[in-house]
Amino acid sequence: MTSPDDLEARLLALGESLDIPAPQPDEVAHAVRARLESLPAADRRPARRLGGLPRLPVRRAPRGSGWLRPATRRRGIVSVVAILVALLLGGTPVGRAAVTEVLRFAGIELEIGGPGPLPAGLPEPLPGEHRVTLEQAREQVAFPVSVPTALSDPRDVRVSDGGRVVSLFWPGLRLDEYDGMLLGVFRKELGTWPQEVALGTAQAWWIPARHGLSYLPRGGGEAPVRARPAAPTLIWQRGQVGLRLEGTGDLRRALEIARSAR
Amino acid sequence: MESFTTYAKEPPTDDDEAIARSLTGDLAAYEVLVTRYSALAHRTAAMLGAADEAEDVVQEAFVKAYRHLATFRQDAPFRPWLLRIVANETHDLTRSRGRRAELAVKLTESRLPETESPEDAAVAVDRRTRLLDVVRTLPEREREVVVCRYFLQLSEAETAQVLDLPAGTVKSRTFRGLKRLREEVGRDLA
Repeated sequence: MTSPDDLEARLLALGESLDIPAPQPDEVAHAVRARLESLPAADRRPARRLGGLPRLPVRRAPRGSGWLRPATRRRGIVSVVAILVALLLGGTPVGRAAVTEVLRFAGIELEIGGPGPLPAGLPEPLPGEHRVTLEQAREQVAFPVSVPTALSDPRDVRVSDGGRVVSLFWPGLRLDEYDGMLLGVFRKELGTWPQEVALGTAQAWWIPARHGLSYLPRGGGEAPVRARPAAPTLIWQRGQVGLRLEGTGDLRRALEIARSAR
Repeated sequence: MESFTTYAKEPPTDDDEAIARSLTGDLAAYEVLVTRYSALAHRTAAMLGAADEAEDVVQEAFVKAYRHLATFRQDAPFRPWLLRIVANETHDLTRSRGRRAELAVKLTESRLPETESPEDAAVAVDRRTRLLDVVRTLPEREREVVVCRYFLQLSEAETAQVLDLPAGTVKSRTFRGLKRLREEVGRDLA
Protein backbone atom coordinates (compact mmCIF):
# COMPACT_ATOMS: atom_id res chain seq x y z
CA MET A 1 0.00 0.00 0.00
CA THR A 2 1.03 3.52 -0.66
CA SER A 3 0.65 5.95 2.20
CA PRO A 4 -0.20 9.59 1.42
CA ASP A 5 3.19 10.92 2.44
CA ASP A 6 4.87 8.25 0.41
CA LEU A 7 2.95 9.20 -2.72
CA GLU A 8 3.70 12.89 -2.24
CA ALA A 9 7.38 12.13 -1.68
CA ARG A 10 7.44 9.97 -4.80
CA LEU A 11 5.84 12.76 -6.83
CA LEU A 12 8.44 15.25 -5.61
CA ALA A 13 11.26 12.85 -6.46
CA LEU A 14 9.72 12.14 -9.84
CA GLY A 15 9.51 15.88 -10.56
CA GLU A 16 13.20 16.22 -9.83
CA SER A 17 14.10 13.42 -12.17
CA LEU A 18 12.23 14.84 -15.14
CA ASP A 19 14.35 15.93 -18.02
CA ILE A 20 13.22 19.19 -19.55
CA PRO A 21 15.33 20.54 -22.33
CA ALA A 22 15.82 24.28 -21.99
CA PRO A 23 18.29 26.71 -23.51
CA GLN A 24 20.97 28.24 -21.32
CA PRO A 25 19.45 30.97 -19.11
CA ASP A 26 21.85 33.63 -20.37
CA GLU A 27 20.88 32.83 -23.95
CA VAL A 28 17.23 33.31 -23.05
CA ALA A 29 18.11 36.61 -21.36
CA HIS A 30 19.93 37.80 -24.49
CA ALA A 31 17.05 36.78 -26.75
CA VAL A 32 14.53 38.57 -24.55
CA ARG A 33 16.71 41.65 -24.41
CA ALA A 34 17.07 41.66 -28.19
CA ARG A 35 13.30 41.43 -28.56
CA LEU A 36 12.77 44.30 -26.12
CA GLU A 37 15.36 46.41 -27.91
CA SER A 38 13.66 45.81 -31.24
CA LEU A 39 10.37 47.20 -29.94
CA PRO A 40 9.43 50.71 -31.03
CA ALA A 41 10.94 53.23 -28.59
CA ALA A 42 7.55 54.11 -27.14
CA ASP A 43 6.92 50.48 -26.16
CA ARG A 44 10.37 49.72 -24.86
CA ARG A 45 10.08 50.98 -21.32
CA PRO A 46 7.84 49.15 -18.93
CA ALA A 47 4.44 50.73 -18.63
CA ARG A 48 4.28 53.30 -15.88
CA ARG A 49 1.22 54.03 -13.87
CA LEU A 50 -0.49 57.08 -15.24
CA GLY A 51 -3.38 58.07 -13.02
CA GLY A 52 -3.62 54.45 -11.95
CA LEU A 53 -3.66 53.19 -15.51
CA PRO A 54 -0.83 51.25 -17.03
CA ARG A 55 0.16 52.17 -20.51
CA LEU A 56 -1.24 50.07 -23.25
CA PRO A 57 -0.58 46.38 -23.07
CA VAL A 58 -1.03 46.27 -26.81
CA ARG A 59 1.05 44.35 -29.22
CA ARG A 60 0.29 43.65 -32.80
CA ALA A 61 0.96 40.17 -33.98
CA PRO A 62 4.48 39.71 -35.32
CA ARG A 63 4.93 40.85 -38.87
CA GLY A 64 7.81 38.70 -39.83
CA SER A 65 10.70 40.22 -37.96
CA GLY A 66 9.72 39.06 -34.48
CA TRP A 67 11.20 35.97 -32.97
CA LEU A 68 8.04 34.07 -32.84
CA ARG A 69 8.01 32.11 -36.05
CA PRO A 70 5.28 33.97 -37.94
CA ALA A 71 4.14 30.91 -39.88
CA THR A 72 3.57 28.96 -36.68
CA ARG A 73 1.67 31.83 -35.16
CA ARG A 74 -0.54 32.33 -38.16
CA ARG A 75 -1.38 28.67 -38.41
CA GLY A 76 -2.53 28.70 -34.81
CA ILE A 77 -4.76 31.68 -35.18
CA VAL A 78 -6.39 30.42 -38.32
CA SER A 79 -7.13 27.13 -36.64
CA VAL A 80 -8.96 28.91 -33.83
CA VAL A 81 -11.17 30.61 -36.32
CA ALA A 82 -11.76 27.38 -38.17
CA ILE A 83 -12.83 25.69 -34.95
CA LEU A 84 -15.23 28.46 -34.08
CA VAL A 85 -16.71 28.53 -37.55
CA ALA A 86 -17.21 24.79 -37.66
CA LEU A 87 -18.74 24.83 -34.22
CA LEU A 88 -21.18 27.61 -34.83
CA LEU A 89 -22.25 27.38 -38.40
CA GLY A 90 -22.19 23.67 -39.04
CA GLY A 91 -22.62 22.93 -42.70
CA THR A 92 -23.12 26.48 -43.88
CA PRO A 93 -20.56 27.27 -46.54
CA VAL A 94 -18.28 29.90 -45.16
CA GLY A 95 -15.28 31.63 -46.58
CA ARG A 96 -12.46 31.01 -44.17
CA ALA A 97 -11.69 34.21 -42.35
CA ALA A 98 -8.04 35.03 -42.74
CA VAL A 99 -7.05 36.50 -39.41
CA THR A 100 -4.08 38.70 -39.95
CA GLU A 101 -3.56 40.44 -36.64
CA VAL A 102 -4.21 40.05 -32.98
CA LEU A 103 -4.61 42.97 -30.63
CA ARG A 104 -4.59 42.26 -26.93
CA PHE A 105 -5.93 44.93 -24.68
CA ALA A 106 -7.57 44.96 -21.26
CA GLY A 107 -8.07 41.21 -21.11
CA ILE A 108 -9.63 41.10 -24.55
CA GLU A 109 -8.04 39.37 -27.47
CA LEU A 110 -9.15 40.91 -30.73
CA GLU A 111 -8.63 38.85 -33.82
CA ILE A 112 -8.64 41.10 -36.81
CA GLY A 113 -8.84 39.74 -40.29
CA GLY A 114 -11.25 39.08 -43.12
CA PRO A 115 -14.74 39.66 -41.74
CA GLY A 116 -15.68 36.38 -40.10
CA PRO A 117 -19.30 35.28 -40.19
CA LEU A 118 -21.31 36.40 -37.20
CA PRO A 119 -22.13 33.59 -34.83
CA ALA A 120 -25.75 32.56 -34.68
CA GLY A 121 -27.88 31.24 -31.85
CA LEU A 122 -28.83 32.33 -28.39
CA PRO A 123 -26.18 33.74 -26.09
CA GLU A 124 -24.95 31.32 -23.46
CA PRO A 125 -24.52 32.50 -19.90
CA LEU A 126 -20.98 32.83 -18.57
CA PRO A 127 -19.80 29.98 -16.33
CA GLY A 128 -21.44 30.07 -12.90
CA GLU A 129 -23.41 33.21 -13.79
CA HIS A 130 -25.79 34.21 -11.02
CA ARG A 131 -27.93 37.16 -10.12
CA VAL A 132 -26.88 39.37 -7.21
CA THR A 133 -27.40 42.85 -5.83
CA LEU A 134 -24.74 45.46 -6.40
CA GLU A 135 -23.69 45.16 -2.76
CA GLN A 136 -23.36 41.38 -3.05
CA ALA A 137 -21.35 41.80 -6.24
CA ARG A 138 -18.92 44.07 -4.41
CA GLU A 139 -18.48 41.41 -1.75
CA GLN A 140 -18.01 38.57 -4.21
CA VAL A 141 -15.30 40.05 -6.38
CA ALA A 142 -11.78 41.08 -5.52
CA PHE A 143 -11.68 44.25 -7.63
CA PRO A 144 -13.52 47.57 -7.31
CA VAL A 145 -16.84 47.56 -9.19
CA SER A 146 -17.44 50.81 -11.09
CA VAL A 147 -20.92 52.14 -11.76
CA PRO A 148 -21.41 54.91 -14.33
CA THR A 149 -23.11 57.93 -12.81
CA ALA A 150 -24.42 58.80 -16.28
CA LEU A 151 -26.83 55.90 -15.92
CA SER A 152 -29.44 55.04 -13.33
CA ASP A 153 -28.89 52.06 -11.02
CA PRO A 154 -28.40 48.87 -13.04
CA ARG A 155 -31.55 46.81 -13.52
CA ASP A 156 -29.72 43.57 -13.14
CA VAL A 157 -26.31 42.59 -11.75
CA ARG A 158 -24.64 39.23 -12.29
CA VAL A 159 -21.43 37.68 -11.06
CA SER A 160 -19.78 34.85 -13.03
CA ASP A 161 -16.89 32.45 -12.97
CA GLY A 162 -16.09 32.54 -9.26
CA GLY A 163 -16.10 36.33 -9.05
CA ARG A 164 -13.97 37.00 -12.11
CA VAL A 165 -16.63 38.92 -14.01
CA VAL A 166 -19.34 41.35 -12.91
CA SER A 167 -21.96 42.28 -15.49
CA LEU A 168 -24.29 45.25 -15.05
CA PHE A 169 -27.39 45.50 -17.21
CA TRP A 170 -29.65 48.35 -18.28
CA PRO A 171 -32.22 48.03 -21.05
CA GLY A 172 -30.18 47.52 -24.21
CA LEU A 173 -26.89 48.10 -22.39
CA ARG A 174 -24.40 45.77 -20.80
CA LEU A 175 -21.23 46.65 -18.89
CA ASP A 176 -18.84 43.77 -18.11
CA GLU A 177 -16.06 44.36 -15.61
CA TYR A 178 -13.47 41.68 -15.06
CA ASP A 179 -10.34 40.93 -13.18
CA GLY A 180 -7.07 40.81 -14.96
CA MET A 181 -5.56 42.11 -18.11
CA LEU A 182 -2.75 39.67 -18.50
CA LEU A 183 -5.04 36.77 -19.03
CA GLY A 184 -7.34 36.68 -22.00
CA VAL A 185 -10.88 36.92 -20.71
CA PHE A 186 -12.90 37.58 -23.83
CA ARG A 187 -12.08 36.96 -27.43
CA LYS A 188 -13.56 39.04 -30.23
CA GLU A 189 -13.34 38.53 -33.95
CA LEU A 190 -13.39 41.60 -36.08
CA GLY A 191 -13.26 42.41 -39.75
CA THR A 192 -11.42 45.68 -39.36
CA TRP A 193 -9.01 47.31 -36.96
CA PRO A 194 -10.95 49.01 -34.15
CA GLN A 195 -10.84 52.72 -33.53
CA GLU A 196 -8.43 53.96 -30.89
CA VAL A 197 -9.97 56.65 -28.74
CA ALA A 198 -8.86 58.68 -25.75
CA LEU A 199 -10.68 58.33 -22.46
CA GLY A 200 -9.23 61.10 -20.33
CA THR A 201 -5.53 60.29 -20.23
CA ALA A 202 -6.21 56.63 -20.90
CA GLN A 203 -6.62 54.73 -24.06
CA ALA A 204 -9.70 52.87 -25.18
CA TRP A 205 -10.81 50.97 -28.25
CA TRP A 206 -14.12 51.34 -30.00
CA ILE A 207 -15.41 48.45 -32.06
CA PRO A 208 -18.02 50.04 -34.26
CA ALA A 209 -19.49 46.92 -35.89
CA ARG A 210 -21.23 43.80 -34.66
CA HIS A 211 -18.76 41.04 -33.99
CA GLY A 212 -18.34 37.55 -32.54
CA LEU A 213 -17.48 37.37 -28.84
CA SER A 214 -16.43 34.34 -26.84
CA TYR A 215 -15.46 33.97 -23.22
CA LEU A 216 -12.34 32.13 -22.06
CA PRO A 217 -13.06 30.54 -18.68
CA ARG A 218 -10.80 31.01 -15.71
CA GLY A 219 -8.01 28.48 -15.38
CA GLY A 220 -7.87 28.08 -19.13
CA GLY A 221 -8.43 24.34 -19.17
CA GLU A 222 -11.98 24.45 -20.36
CA ALA A 223 -13.35 25.20 -23.79
CA PRO A 224 -14.32 28.81 -24.52
CA VAL A 225 -17.95 29.70 -23.94
CA ARG A 226 -19.26 29.78 -27.45
CA ALA A 227 -19.28 32.94 -29.43
CA ARG A 228 -22.29 35.20 -29.51
CA PRO A 229 -22.89 38.23 -31.68
CA ALA A 230 -21.96 41.38 -29.78
CA ALA A 231 -23.15 44.89 -30.52
CA PRO A 232 -20.64 47.75 -31.00
CA THR A 233 -18.50 47.91 -27.90
CA LEU A 234 -16.13 50.24 -26.09
CA ILE A 235 -13.31 48.55 -24.18
CA TRP A 236 -11.03 50.18 -21.68
CA GLN A 237 -9.13 49.60 -18.50
CA ARG A 238 -9.40 51.07 -15.03
CA GLY A 239 -6.48 50.13 -12.80
CA GLN A 240 -6.17 46.41 -13.32
CA VAL A 241 -9.81 45.96 -14.20
CA GLY A 242 -10.91 45.51 -17.80
CA LEU A 243 -14.26 46.92 -18.88
CA ARG A 244 -16.43 46.44 -21.94
CA LEU A 245 -19.54 48.48 -22.58
CA GLU A 246 -21.87 47.07 -25.17
CA GLY A 247 -25.02 48.43 -26.70
CA THR A 248 -24.83 52.22 -26.91
CA GLY A 249 -24.55 52.11 -30.68
CA ASP A 250 -22.75 55.42 -30.63
CA LEU A 251 -19.21 56.23 -29.57
CA ARG A 252 -19.99 59.61 -28.01
CA ARG A 253 -22.57 58.15 -25.68
CA ALA A 254 -20.27 55.24 -24.85
CA LEU A 255 -17.44 57.62 -23.88
CA GLU A 256 -19.80 59.73 -21.81
CA ILE A 257 -20.88 56.67 -19.86
CA ALA A 258 -17.32 55.37 -19.52
CA ARG A 259 -16.08 58.72 -18.21
CA SER A 260 -18.75 58.72 -15.54
CA ALA A 261 -17.80 55.27 -14.20
CA ARG A 262 -16.92 55.61 -10.49
CA MET B 1 10.00 61.39 -11.82
CA GLU B 2 13.08 59.49 -12.85
CA SER B 3 15.00 57.83 -10.09
CA PHE B 4 17.96 56.75 -12.19
CA THR B 5 19.75 58.63 -14.88
CA THR B 6 22.66 56.26 -15.11
CA TYR B 7 22.54 52.60 -14.27
CA ALA B 8 24.27 51.17 -11.28
CA LYS B 9 27.21 49.03 -12.32
CA GLU B 10 26.72 46.13 -9.96
CA PRO B 11 24.12 43.59 -11.03
CA PRO B 12 21.03 43.65 -8.80
CA THR B 13 21.15 41.08 -6.04
CA ASP B 14 17.49 40.57 -5.27
CA ASP B 15 14.23 40.58 -7.23
CA ASP B 16 12.97 43.84 -5.74
CA GLU B 17 16.05 45.73 -6.80
CA ALA B 18 16.08 44.10 -10.24
CA ILE B 19 12.43 45.05 -10.73
CA ALA B 20 12.94 48.61 -9.53
CA ARG B 21 15.84 49.03 -11.94
CA SER B 22 13.98 47.34 -14.79
CA LEU B 23 11.20 49.86 -14.29
CA THR B 24 13.62 52.63 -15.14
CA GLY B 25 14.34 50.91 -18.43
CA ASP B 26 17.50 49.11 -17.26
CA LEU B 27 17.49 46.07 -19.55
CA ALA B 28 20.62 44.61 -17.94
CA ALA B 29 18.75 44.44 -14.63
CA TYR B 30 15.89 42.69 -16.37
CA GLU B 31 18.30 40.20 -17.90
CA VAL B 32 19.23 39.19 -14.36
CA LEU B 33 15.58 38.34 -13.66
CA VAL B 34 15.26 36.42 -16.93
CA THR B 35 18.38 34.42 -16.16
CA ARG B 36 17.17 33.66 -12.65
CA TYR B 37 13.74 32.37 -13.67
CA SER B 38 14.44 30.98 -17.11
CA ALA B 39 14.75 27.31 -16.12
CA LEU B 40 11.65 27.36 -13.92
CA ALA B 41 9.69 29.14 -16.65
CA HIS B 42 10.69 26.45 -19.15
CA ARG B 43 9.70 23.69 -16.75
CA THR B 44 6.34 25.35 -16.20
CA ALA B 45 5.65 25.81 -19.90
CA ALA B 46 6.68 22.24 -20.76
CA MET B 47 4.72 20.69 -17.92
CA LEU B 48 1.57 22.66 -18.69
CA GLY B 49 1.60 21.58 -22.32
CA ALA B 50 3.74 23.89 -24.46
CA ALA B 51 5.71 20.88 -25.75
CA ASP B 52 8.33 21.85 -28.32
CA GLU B 53 7.12 25.45 -28.30
CA ALA B 54 8.13 26.06 -24.70
CA GLU B 55 10.99 28.32 -25.78
CA ASP B 56 8.65 30.58 -27.73
CA VAL B 57 6.20 30.67 -24.85
CA VAL B 58 8.88 31.57 -22.32
CA GLN B 59 10.34 34.38 -24.39
CA GLU B 60 6.91 35.81 -25.04
CA ALA B 61 6.10 35.61 -21.33
CA PHE B 62 9.28 37.46 -20.34
CA VAL B 63 8.63 40.19 -22.90
CA LYS B 64 5.07 40.54 -21.68
CA ALA B 65 6.14 40.57 -18.04
CA TYR B 66 8.61 43.38 -18.75
CA ARG B 67 6.00 45.46 -20.48
CA HIS B 68 3.51 44.95 -17.65
CA LEU B 69 6.02 45.42 -14.88
CA ALA B 70 4.43 48.63 -13.64
CA THR B 71 1.18 46.78 -12.96
CA PHE B 72 3.01 44.29 -10.77
CA ARG B 73 2.49 44.87 -7.08
CA GLN B 74 5.97 45.38 -5.82
CA ASP B 75 5.45 43.98 -2.37
CA ALA B 76 4.30 40.72 -3.98
CA PRO B 77 6.65 37.93 -5.03
CA PHE B 78 7.75 38.03 -8.65
CA ARG B 79 7.91 34.27 -9.20
CA PRO B 80 4.19 33.33 -9.18
CA TRP B 81 3.32 36.50 -11.07
CA LEU B 82 5.75 35.54 -13.83
CA LEU B 83 4.64 31.91 -13.86
CA ARG B 84 1.03 33.02 -14.19
CA ILE B 85 1.98 34.79 -17.40
CA VAL B 86 3.83 31.66 -18.57
CA ALA B 87 0.78 29.50 -17.75
CA ASN B 88 -1.47 31.91 -19.57
CA GLU B 89 0.72 31.94 -22.66
CA THR B 90 0.81 28.15 -22.59
CA HIS B 91 -2.97 27.95 -22.36
CA ASP B 92 -3.36 30.39 -25.22
CA LEU B 93 -1.03 28.27 -27.30
CA THR B 94 -2.67 24.92 -26.66
CA ARG B 95 -6.10 26.44 -27.09
CA SER B 96 -5.18 28.11 -30.37
CA ARG B 97 -3.77 24.82 -31.61
CA GLY B 98 -6.97 23.08 -30.60
CA ARG B 99 -4.99 20.39 -28.91
CA ARG B 100 -5.01 18.82 -25.51
CA ALA B 101 -2.35 20.08 -23.12
CA GLU B 102 0.06 17.19 -22.60
CA LEU B 103 2.67 16.78 -19.93
CA ALA B 104 5.60 17.13 -22.31
CA VAL B 105 8.40 15.70 -20.22
CA LYS B 106 10.46 12.58 -19.96
CA LEU B 107 12.43 10.84 -17.32
CA THR B 108 16.14 11.36 -17.02
CA GLU B 109 18.27 8.62 -15.56
CA SER B 110 21.00 10.90 -14.32
CA ARG B 111 19.23 11.87 -11.11
CA LEU B 112 18.05 8.54 -9.85
CA PRO B 113 18.56 7.69 -6.21
CA GLU B 114 21.73 5.81 -5.42
CA THR B 115 20.89 2.16 -5.16
CA GLU B 116 22.86 -0.84 -4.19
CA SER B 117 22.40 -2.85 -7.30
CA PRO B 118 21.55 -2.43 -10.98
CA GLU B 119 18.39 -4.42 -10.30
CA ASP B 120 17.24 -1.90 -7.68
CA ALA B 121 18.00 0.94 -10.06
CA ALA B 122 15.94 -0.71 -12.77
CA VAL B 123 13.03 -1.14 -10.37
CA ALA B 124 13.27 2.51 -9.34
CA VAL B 125 13.22 3.64 -12.99
CA ASP B 126 10.27 1.40 -13.67
CA ARG B 127 8.30 2.73 -10.69
CA ARG B 128 8.92 6.32 -11.75
CA THR B 129 7.98 5.64 -15.33
CA ARG B 130 4.73 4.08 -14.24
CA LEU B 131 3.91 6.93 -11.85
CA LEU B 132 4.58 9.46 -14.62
CA ASP B 133 2.27 7.53 -16.94
CA VAL B 134 -0.48 7.64 -14.34
CA VAL B 135 0.00 11.39 -13.80
CA ARG B 136 -0.37 11.85 -17.56
CA THR B 137 -3.77 10.19 -17.49
CA LEU B 138 -5.19 12.51 -14.82
CA PRO B 139 -7.92 14.88 -15.97
CA GLU B 140 -6.31 18.16 -17.01
CA ARG B 141 -7.60 20.23 -14.07
CA GLU B 142 -6.20 17.75 -11.55
CA ARG B 143 -3.01 17.18 -13.48
CA GLU B 144 -2.26 20.90 -13.53
CA VAL B 145 -2.45 21.30 -9.79
CA VAL B 146 -0.42 18.11 -9.20
CA VAL B 147 2.21 19.42 -11.62
CA CYS B 148 2.37 22.79 -9.88
CA ARG B 149 2.39 21.42 -6.35
CA TYR B 150 4.83 18.51 -6.78
CA PHE B 151 6.76 18.82 -10.03
CA LEU B 152 7.25 22.59 -9.79
CA GLN B 153 7.16 22.52 -5.98
CA LEU B 154 4.93 25.57 -5.71
CA SER B 155 2.95 26.34 -2.57
CA GLU B 156 -0.81 26.12 -2.54
CA ALA B 157 -1.09 29.91 -2.70
CA GLU B 158 1.39 30.13 -5.58
CA THR B 159 -0.47 27.39 -7.44
CA ALA B 160 -3.72 29.31 -7.02
CA GLN B 161 -2.11 32.43 -8.42
CA VAL B 162 -0.37 30.68 -11.30
CA LEU B 163 -3.46 28.78 -12.43
CA ASP B 164 -5.80 31.68 -11.64
CA LEU B 165 -7.94 29.53 -9.37
CA PRO B 166 -9.45 30.12 -5.94
CA ALA B 167 -7.31 28.55 -3.17
CA GLY B 168 -10.12 26.18 -2.20
CA THR B 169 -10.23 24.81 -5.72
CA VAL B 170 -6.50 24.09 -5.64
CA LYS B 171 -6.97 22.22 -2.39
CA SER B 172 -9.86 20.11 -3.67
CA ARG B 173 -8.24 19.36 -7.02
CA THR B 174 -5.01 18.33 -5.31
CA PHE B 175 -6.98 16.06 -3.04
CA ARG B 176 -8.89 14.49 -5.93
CA GLY B 177 -5.74 14.14 -8.01
CA LEU B 178 -3.85 12.40 -5.22
CA LYS B 179 -6.80 10.14 -4.52
CA ARG B 180 -6.98 9.10 -8.14
CA LEU B 181 -3.21 8.55 -8.30
CA ARG B 182 -3.31 6.46 -5.15
CA GLU B 183 -6.00 4.26 -6.62
CA GLU B 184 -4.21 3.83 -9.91
CA VAL B 185 -0.77 3.31 -8.41
CA GLY B 186 -2.19 0.92 -5.82
CA ARG B 187 -3.79 -1.14 -8.57
CA ASP B 188 -0.59 -1.04 -10.53
CA LEU B 189 1.45 -2.50 -7.70
CA ALA B 190 -1.10 -5.05 -6.60
